Amino acid sequence: MVCPAGRGIQSLKNWINLGGRKIRPLSLFTVSPENLFPVGEVSESFEVHEIPRSHQLAFTAAQEAMAGTQTPPDAVIIGVTTGGILTTEMHLKNHVSDPEAFAYHSAGSVAEYISDKYHCKGPAITVSNACSSGTVAIKIALEMLRSGQARRVLAGGVDSLCRLVYYGFKSLQLIDPAGARPLDKNRRGMSLGEAAAMLLLVADDITPGDAVVEILGGGLSCDAYHPTSPHPDGEGALNAMRAAIQDAGISPSDIDYINLHGTGTPDNDLSEAKALKSLFGSCLPPLSSVKGAFGHSLGAAGAVEAVISAISISEGVIPENTGCQIPDLKLGLEPVMVPMEKKVRIVLSNSFGFGGNNAALVMGILQGKKPVPLPKTPPLTIEGFAGITGVGDINEALEHISAGKDCHGMSPLSEISKFLHPSVTRRLKRLPRMALALAHAACKNANLQDTPSSIFWGTGWGPISETYDFLRKLYESDEQFTSPTDFIGSVHNAPAGQVAISLGASGPNVTTTGGDYSFEQCLLTASILVEKINVPFLVIGADEFHEALSPLFDRSVTADKVRSDGGGAICLKRSHVSDKPKIFPVFFENSTGNPNIISSLFNKLGSLREIENRFGTLLAGIPSAFRQKGEKQLQEFLVLSDFHLPVIDYRKLTGEFASASAVAIALAAKFIQNGKIPASLCNGDDYFLNGKGILIIGFGKFVTAIEIVP
Amino acid sequence: MEHLLNELTFKIVDTLNLVDVTPNDIDPDDHLIGGKLGLDSIDILELVMMIEMDYAVKINSKELGEKVFSSIKSMAKYIYENSSEVS
Repeated sequence: MVCPAGRGIQSLKNWINLGGRKIRPLSLFTVSPENLFPVGEVSESFEVHEIPRSHQLAFTAAQEAMAGTQTPPDAVIIGVTTGGILTTEMHLKNHVSDPEAFAYHSAGSVAEYISDKYHCKGPAITVSNACSSGTVAIKIALEMLRSGQARRVLAGGVDSLCRLVYYGFKSLQLIDPAGARPLDKNRRGMSLGEAAAMLLLVADDITPGDAVVEILGGGLSCDAYHPTSPHPDGEGALNAMRAAIQDAGISPSDIDYINLHGTGTPDNDLSEAKALKSLFGSCLPPLSSVKGAFGHSLGAAGAVEAVISAISISEGVIPENTGCQIPDLKLGLEPVMVPMEKKVRIVLSNSFGFGGNNAALVMGILQGKKPVPLPKTPPLTIEGFAGITGVGDINEALEHISAGKDCHGMSPLSEISKFLHPSVTRRLKRLPRMALALAHAACKNANLQDTPSSIFWGTGWGPISETYDFLRKLYESDEQFTSPTDFIGSVHNAPAGQVAISLGASGPNVTTTGGDYSFEQCLLTASILVEKINVPFLVIGADEFHEALSPLFDRSVTADKVRSDGGGAICLKRSHVSDKPKIFPVFFENSTGNPNIISSLFNKLGSLREIENRFGTLLAGIPSAFRQKGEKQLQEFLVLSDFHLPVIDYRKLTGEFASASAVAIALAAKFIQNGKIPASLCNGDDYFLNGKGILIIGFGKFVTAIEIVP
Repeated sequence: MEHLLNELTFKIVDTLNLVDVTPNDIDPDDHLIGGKLGLDSIDILELVMMIEMDYAVKINSKELGEKVFSSIKSMAKYIYENSSEVS
C-alpha cells in the first residue's frame, strides 16, 4: 500500500487509529494559483523517470503485498484509469515524437509491468471502470479463484495524479476548493488523490498463516442512467450492494461497518445515502468515507478501501469520516466522526464511478472455510455477432475477402453512425460510436427480444480522440480551458456506459484494456463473471485510429501504410439448449520469461487427435510489433500440433489495430455459420468445415486461445 | 443585448453540436435544461467553458449555474452584466 498516509500498511494502521486530513495543495505539477486545490498526494518521488508514476506506485505496493513469498501469482488483475498519462502529458506538451517515450502509456501496461516483475505466467488483466476499477478487479479475482482457474491472484488498483483528471474534474465543477467534506451539509465536491494498493488473494485448502481477512463476496451493477451523474435514488448502488451481500451469503444485519464511496459531491453522497437507507432501513451500522482524508484515488480507491476494511477487521478500529464537520441531516446518515474501537467481523465497501458503474465488496474475519467449487455452468453460445472493418460490416468484409482482397482501412464516421440517432451521437466521437453501432448490430443479429444484462468492453487504447482533444485545448489555452464533454468521453469505459444507457443494460459493466489482448481479457472476464443461464450479454472490442496518437502509442500501426481500425461484438448467453456455436476462452499466458508457453498451450488444447478432430481452421493474430516473435510462436505451435489445415494470418486481412481479434472472432462466427472458409484463404478451393470448429490464437507478448465450435 | 442574445443562440447550437435545431428555433425564454433542446448538465458545463473563453465570465458554482442557465435570456443578462467585453 502506498497512499497519502504514507508507504506501507503500518502507516495506514497509524492513520486509522489517529485519523486526520492528509490532503494538501497540489505540488506534483505546477498549476496557476486559481487552479490550486488540495489533493491527496503521495509523498514519494521516484528516480527512474522513464517508468511512469502509476507503475512505480503499483510496484511499491506490490513489493509489500508479495514480501515473504517466492511463488509467482497465477494472475495479476489491476484497476487503472489512466496508466502512464502523467508522463504522456509531459511528452505531448513537449511534442516528443519517439514512440519509445510512450512505451508505458497504456493503462494496461501497469498490470503487464507488475506481471513481468513477479514472473506471472498467467493473464494480466486491467480493469478500467473509472472510479470503481479497484473493487471490480478484486471481484474478478475472487471469481477466478472460486472457479479454480487460479489459486493466487495479485489484485489491486492504482492511479497517479495527472493533468487530464485534475483539470477534467475541475471542468465538471466537482472539486471542493476547501477539500472534500463527505456527508457534510456544506460539502461542495471531492478532492482528487493518488495511491496504489495490492492484495495477494489466495485460495488454498489450508488458510495461509499470514492471511488477514477473507473476501466473502462482491456485486456489480450499472445505473444505465447517465454518463457521469449517479442515479438520483441510488438504484444501481443498491443493486450492487444487494448482489455483494447475496454473493457473500450474509444478510445486511451481519455488517459491522460500511466503508462508503462517499466522494463528497452533493449528488454522490445523496444517492449513496438513499441506497443505504433502502437496504438497511433505520438499522445502519457505523459508516465512514476516507475520501476527506486521502482524496479520491479513482482506480486505486476501491483497492485502498479494501485494505482499510481489512485493517478495520484485523485491528478492531473503524476509521473516521475525515472532513465532515456537520453531518447533512438530509442524508440521514451518522458518520463515524473520530476513530472508533469496535469489534468488526464483516465490512461492506462501496465504489461507484462514471458510466454508472457500481461495485460493492464484502470482506470478513477469517473462518478458514475451504473454497467451495462452483457448480459446472453451461457453455457460452454465440447468439449474434457484428463487426466493423475498413470496408464495412462482417458481410461486406467477407465479400472482400472472398474476392481475394483485404479489409484494411477506416470506415467513414457517417457509415459507422448510420443507424444511430443524431441526438445520441452529437457528443460522441469515433470510438463510442463504434461501440454503440457494434452493440446494436450484435443484438439485431441475435434477434434479441430481451435487453442484454451485462456489457463487457475491451479496448486497447480507449477513446484517444477525446483524450487528445482535451489535452490540446488545455495546452492551447495555457491550461485555462478544457472540454468537460471530452473529459467524460476520455475514460476508457465511457463507450461501455453509452451502450448500457442505450440498451438499458443494468447488470455488470466491465471495461478491460491491455493493448492487443484487450478483447481476449474482456471475453475471459465475461466468462468468469457471468454465471446466470439464458441471460444474454454483450462482449465488445474496438479501437480507433487517431492520426496523432495511434502511431505514438501502438507500434504495430506504423507497419501498415493503410491506417485501419474497427472492432467486433458478440452477443452471448450460457445455454445447454441453444443450437448456436459455442465459444471458449481456453488459454491466456504471458510469454515473458515463459519459454514453454507454446507447449503449455498445446497441452491445454489436448492431444494431436483432439486438435485434429475439433478444429478445421486456425486464425492467427500476430501484431506487427511482435511479428518475428509471433511467427516463431506460430511455427512452434504448428509443428507441435501437426496442424496442416488452413491457417489464416488475420491481421493481414483486418489491418493493424489492437482490437483486430474482435473482428477475427466475428469473422470466425461467420465462417462457422456458412460452414466453410472462402477459397481465397485456402489455396483455391472453399474449405468445408464439416462440423469442425475454429481456433483463434493471439501471439506476441501474450499468447491467447479462443475456441469456437459449432 | 439583442445582438448578444442572437450571438448566443448561434454559439449554443455550434458548441453543443445540436442537430435538428437551428438558431431560429430557439426561443430566448425557453428553459435550457429539460426544455425542447434536450440539454443536460454536461451541456451546461460545456456552455460554462464557452462563456469563460469567449466572454471572460466565470460561472463556477452549481447554484449560480442554475440561475444563469434558466434560459438564454438569463444567460445573456448575466454575461451582459458581468463581462467587460460586451457592451
